[in-house]
Amino acid sequence: MVRTTVSLSDLPAGSIATIRDIDAESPTAQRLMDMGFVPGTPIRAVRTAPMGDPTTFEIRGYQVGLRRSESGLIGVEIKPDDK
Amino acid sequence: MTSKIERNVYLVGNPNSGKTSLFNSMTGERRHVGNWPGVTVQKLEGITSTERATLTICDLPGTYSLTPATPEEEIVLRTIDEAATGCIVNVVDIANFERNMFLTTQLIELGIKPVVSLNCFDSFSKAGGTIDLQKFTNFTGATPFPTVARTGEGTHSLVEYIAKESIDEQTNCENWLTLPEEWLAAAEEVLKLKQTNWQKAKPTQRYSALSDLIRLHPHGADPKTLKIRENLAETLSKGRAKPVKITDLACELATDRYRRIEKLIAACASLPGKNIPTWQEKLDSVLTHKFLGLPIFALLMGWVFWTTFSVGEIPMGWMHSLVDSIRGFVQTNMQDSLIKELMIGGIISGVGGVVIFIPNILILFFWIAILEDSGYMSRAAFIMDRMMNSIGLHGRAFIPMIMGLGCNVPAVLATRIIDNRFQRLLTMLLIPLVTCAARLPVLVLLCGTFFPENPSVWMFALFFVNLLVLIFLGQMTSLLFKTGENSPFLLEMPPYRLPTPSSVFHMLYEKGAHFIEKAGTVILAGAIVIWVLSVFPREVPLSFDYNAELAELNAQKITVQVSDQIAQISHKRDIELMEGRYMARLGKLIHPIMRPLGFSWRETVSLIPGFLAKESVVSTLSVLYLPYSEHIGDAMRKTGMTPLTAFVFMMFTLLYIPCIATLGVIWRESGSTRFTVLALIVYFAIAYIVSFVALKIGEALQTSTAWLEGLVIVFIAVSAGWYLLRTFIMTIRGNRCNSCASSNKCSSRGKSNCSGG
Repeated sequence: MVRTTVSLSDLPAGSIATIRDIDAESPTAQRLMDMGFVPGTPIRAVRTAPMGDPTTFEIRGYQVGLRRSESGLIGVEIKPDDK
Repeated sequence: MTSKIERNVYLVGNPNSGKTSLFNSMTGERRHVGNWPGVTVQKLEGITSTERATLTICDLPGTYSLTPATPEEEIVLRTIDEAATGCIVNVVDIANFERNMFLTTQLIELGIKPVVSLNCFDSFSKAGGTIDLQKFTNFTGATPFPTVARTGEGTHSLVEYIAKESIDEQTNCENWLTLPEEWLAAAEEVLKLKQTNWQKAKPTQRYSALSDLIRLHPHGADPKTLKIRENLAETLSKGRAKPVKITDLACELATDRYRRIEKLIAACASLPGKNIPTWQEKLDSVLTHKFLGLPIFALLMGWVFWTTFSVGEIPMGWMHSLVDSIRGFVQTNMQDSLIKELMIGGIISGVGGVVIFIPNILILFFWIAILEDSGYMSRAAFIMDRMMNSIGLHGRAFIPMIMGLGCNVPAVLATRIIDNRFQRLLTMLLIPLVTCAARLPVLVLLCGTFFPENPSVWMFALFFVNLLVLIFLGQMTSLLFKTGENSPFLLEMPPYRLPTPSSVFHMLYEKGAHFIEKAGTVILAGAIVIWVLSVFPREVPLSFDYNAELAELNAQKITVQVSDQIAQISHKRDIELMEGRYMARLGKLIHPIMRPLGFSWRETVSLIPGFLAKESVVSTLSVLYLPYSEHIGDAMRKTGMTPLTAFVFMMFTLLYIPCIATLGVIWRESGSTRFTVLALIVYFAIAYIVSFVALKIGEALQTSTAWLEGLVIVFIAVSAGWYLLRTFIMTIRGNRCNSCASSNKCSSRGKSNCSGG
């Protein structure tokens, strides 16, 4: 099975992926993890704002908007059958 | 009769969990707004009593986890020990169960037994969710109460429960949310280093032991703690394909917590899946649509702006006439005295200056309450974030900034919609640089006075400079402080809801009362101080006995000549009186500072009453310049003022200080004297520097030939325009690294040496 790992900021709107890792270097990482962005969690890119940033994501049943600077910290895995 | 139990109740919960609604429905009107000691974060306390107990309910700032990201959230952690001795009510938005339970899990891990308010229960069950409350209690040891805080449903039994003699603890249950053994053992070892143990330690000590284990940057951590971390990582790695690194511990703990939460939820509830129903997602796709989103938002903003400031003018007119009639009443019914002058010149004008803002504030906050409650505010922030981010602001800052065009006072109050304190202060700092409607007539007046030929061109130039200053200051401050303040951008999208009258009422009541009580007093005091400066000392030694002369002239038969003379003499007297008053003395005292800008002492003096209201700059100038000419512009030219200095003076007037009312609300809303004074210095410094640069550029231009002048102006305009354009392009393109496809694997990510490849 082919798996592609991309940054969450590159996940196209409307597609689903699974969180793989979070950049632990960033001080924002802790907060993201506390909010449920932990490895293995399914996530969906919902919509990108008219000006191109931020993007809303659906995770654990709620929606949250992240800027590229935050979503770029998260690595996700897109499974072919998810697309 | 036995005395009542006194108990402190602390509400903790996620932002948007309905904590404040629950607080409102629990306490009614008996509340007190104060500050947390040491920090300028608002503390909301209320009292409610039942037959058996008096409960002091404290609304703690909303937070997603105990690990603080902002000063507000730090309060929760700092208060937790104190709160553990009372009663902690954990407000959980059950429509967003998993994430809300994270905080609950943290609390339970620290040995706290919270009373859980399962809020928004109505939308949860409407969406098809069910929960077995008995199982929830059995597996968590916490007592759950389904509530709908917006309507007050369920709060009664919650209050009754916490008002009981002793809150019974569920002891005979297995708690699924407590720390796993490996973690507990490691935390115990960390605590041993601190000569204590888990059993004895307070919740905050337990918390800090845990955070010692997971801290992402363990710099300065002692080798013993590092060793414990290594051992823990090793223990956790057992039986796994991929070993756990010590930098992964934070992630491990968070993952483990969510695993426990998932297990609990699977055992006792069935969730609807998502908190935003499909029809709302469709609504979202229109309201935040790529092309429709911005126009819809613009229309809504236009409506809010129009009702606030245009419709608001009607009640403002009533306020005006009310103040005028009171003034008229005092004028006719009081004996001439200093007190009467104080009443008219100081108090009534001051009070009038306060009440005049009330219609604006109430109308604006009516809409803000509706936008906020309905959930649209988060969408607006979502739409506007990129633009606001270009000047270092949060998307939510757009509404206060745009309201600043109408009046800075409600705009500063509106910054409360921004949760993050740093962002809020930054927005407050920038709002006074937005030219408000009251400054417009002053500009028109000044431009018309100094440049009667083409005032609009100069006005445009002033606006342009103002905009540049605004953007520049925003970028500078966010650049300077961004690294210091750890404030992640996380914009939660709440589901759309129908606003309730009670929450709108609470917002209006709180804002209105707060404004009158807090800011009103400052504005009034400012008005009185300016009045004192302008009428004292009472006796000014005059060079000539004007009154005798006037009396003599008045006694004569009135002819055109005589009335001319009377007017002339009384003008001369007025000027001399004015020069003798403290205000003019103060102006002359600070004149040396202003001289490099080419201002005479008259301009300097006129800036002082401008503190109160910028209109007074013009009226003071007209009095001071009367002996030279009826027309200020002519008079100023006669006394050596060039169009250049006039322009510089206008620029300075525009920038040097927000009006006293804005300053008053900034002081009260920021809760920090230091910040207010700093802001004042910043405005003054900016005004000074910008004016000085403009003066120097202008002077350089004047000595050169006309074509060179044109060239330089074109150059400045082009470079300023380029600066603006670049700012926007940069923000629209975004950070190169984050949009880079290989960013996840790139080792130099987030560092400046990224090759972009």
